[in-house]
Amino acid sequence: MSSVIVAGLVSGSIYALIASGLSLVWGALGVFNFAHGALLMAGAFVAWFVSDPAGLDLGLTAGVLTSMIFMIAAGGVLYVLLVRPWLGKPAAELTVIMTTVAGAMFLENLALYTFGARLKALDQVVTGTVSVAGTAMQAQNLLVIVLAPVLLGGLALFLKLSKHGLAIRAIAQNDEAARLLGIRIERTYFLTFAVSALLAGVAGVMIGGLFNITPSMGSDPLLRAFLVVVFGGLGSLPGTVIAAYLIGLIEAASSYYIGIYWTPVVLFSVLILVLLVRPNGLLGRAP
Amino acid sequence: MSLPSTPLRLAAAVVVLLLAILLPFVVTGGAAKNLVVLALLFAVVASNWDLTLGYAGIFNFAHVAFFGIAGYVSAIATIYFGLPVWLDIALAVAVVAVLAGVTAALALRLRGIYVALVTFAFVQLCVALIISQKWLTGGAVGLVGVPDLALFGHRLSPSGPDYLILAELLLIASTVFLRFLVRSDFGLSIVALRDNEAYAVARGISATRQRVLAMVASSLFTAAAGAVYAHYLIVASPDVFSFSLTTLILSMVLLGGGATIYGPIMAAIALTVVTEQLAGFGVVRFMIIAVLIVLTLRFLPGGLWSLGERLTVLRRNSKQGIGA
Repeated sequence: MSSVIVAGLVSGSIYALIASGLSLVWGALGVFNFAHGALLMAGAFVAWFVSDPAGLDLGLTAGVLTSMIFMIAAGGVLYVLLVRPWLGKPAAELTVIMTTVAGAMFLENLALYTFGARLKALDQVVTGTVSVAGTAMQAQNLLVIVLAPVLLGGLALFLKLSKHGLAIRAIAQNDEAARLLGIRIERTYFLTFAVSALLAGVAGVMIGGLFNITPSMGSDPLLRAFLVVVFGGLGSLPGTVIAAYLIGLIEAASSYYIGIYWTPVVLFSVLILVLLVRPNGLLGRAP
Repeated sequence: MSLPSTPLRLAAAVVVLLLAILLPFVVTGGAAKNLVVLALLFAVVASNWDLTLGYAGIFNFAHVAFFGIAGYVSAIATIYFGLPVWLDIALAVAVVAVLAGVTAALALRLRGIYVALVTFAFVQLCVALIISQKWLTGGAVGLVGVPDLALFGHRLSPSGPDYLILAELLLIASTVFLRFLVRSDFGLSIVALRDNEAYAVARGISATRQRVLAMVASSLFTAAAGAVYAHYLIVASPDVFSFSLTTLILSMVLLGGGATIYGPIMAAIALTVVTEQLAGFGVVRFMIIAVLIVLTLRFLPGGLWSLGERLTVLRRNSKQGIGA
């Protein structure tokens, strides 16, 4: 029972980090980034390359820091190359799906070309096991469970209090009014992508420490994140976070009690039920 | 959309038909023939996807899954139930059409991007079910042993031109069907719903019914192609549900030009050939294709087909003395 909860919280935390980035971009720009999973993978590979003895061997701290800086830049570059040219054009929604799918294809094959298909693993930030309320777990798991809410809380504070965060929310609510008020919409879009990529990078490093690093490591979490954002309502950060933890817990419980192969069926049935009752997700607004 | 004049179109049709008749005689090498069969079948899938994506504006990302499911229906019907060949293809089309209708009815309660995400999730569900139900589907290996098709006692052999001709006929039938559909009142109604739903509904068009019908219509020839594909490869494999095949076929639709039907067909053939030409580059070829996709979307947003349209307009304008 308690191991199910731990597993659910760990995957819930990771899904929350991934899905909140997707949701943020959707809210501000009205586009969906299908390269989000590939960004996550890129973050994990950069951290691995800088830290691992087979790479630059500079230690994990340097690896994670480099990865974070890289992610901010990568988010910005992705926005400039794959999103900005099509914003405001007809069918931007569909075109950006396609350009970001192409971006993901590029990044995954670049990783495959550069690093090969062999499995890699990142060193764990903390090692050993700890015991919380009588439940033994890997320290890395506990770190993920604790760190994700802290980061998400930080994100919420950033959006609520900082000038740039307010700008992102203003654009999400009404971009014309935001423009009239003198918000630099271009710069804010850039920032939104950078923040979103940073969150994906953190998730990538977490997954890299818990499981393996492969060029296609981003696709499964991305597909789960799709379920999460639909479930919680795109553009709603609280909805996304709640849905992420719910999906994480449902997934862990159904894998444990029903069987791992039936988990997608369970998740999909829950999703259909939610959407029949609330077509815009748990906390989503009508578009 | 400005289409070429009638004599020009007639000439184009004749040329295409001549090419279709010549093709089985020209392409005789094993690898080249295999490539052409795949290109033609993918052209069917891509052009049918254009009906929902381009004309109806529905983000149905489960389209390629229809292709895959049809293969499995056909494989299961022939291997386990001994259904005669051809009948299993009809069964596959029927099953997939019903499935498409149900999926559409459920998914189209949603809007835009949500449809894309839910249909994506649906594909994952299919993969999970197929891989887990090993006793029925053969799991990750696939279901091997789909019998060859036969006509009047003559077995269609993969080494002869038979499957190439079959794929050609399928593509021609599918294209005639699609072009008829998009030029009919039904086609106009789904375009109207795409462009201005409120107005279309006010004019008495049922949004849900037309969209569900569009999904079902787009699934028919896709399913037939999927069943033929399984017969051709003698296997129904979970690989067809992979993200990369969906990406490939989606790029055919967008590179060719949405809402044209002909564009995706051209792009399907071009892209299959280009991918093969770049085979020597290994994984780098996918990076090249990704860059090509982005560049095309950037500088030729209407796809390859719009290039032809632009030329036609230029020619017409210069003829009338408006200036190029």
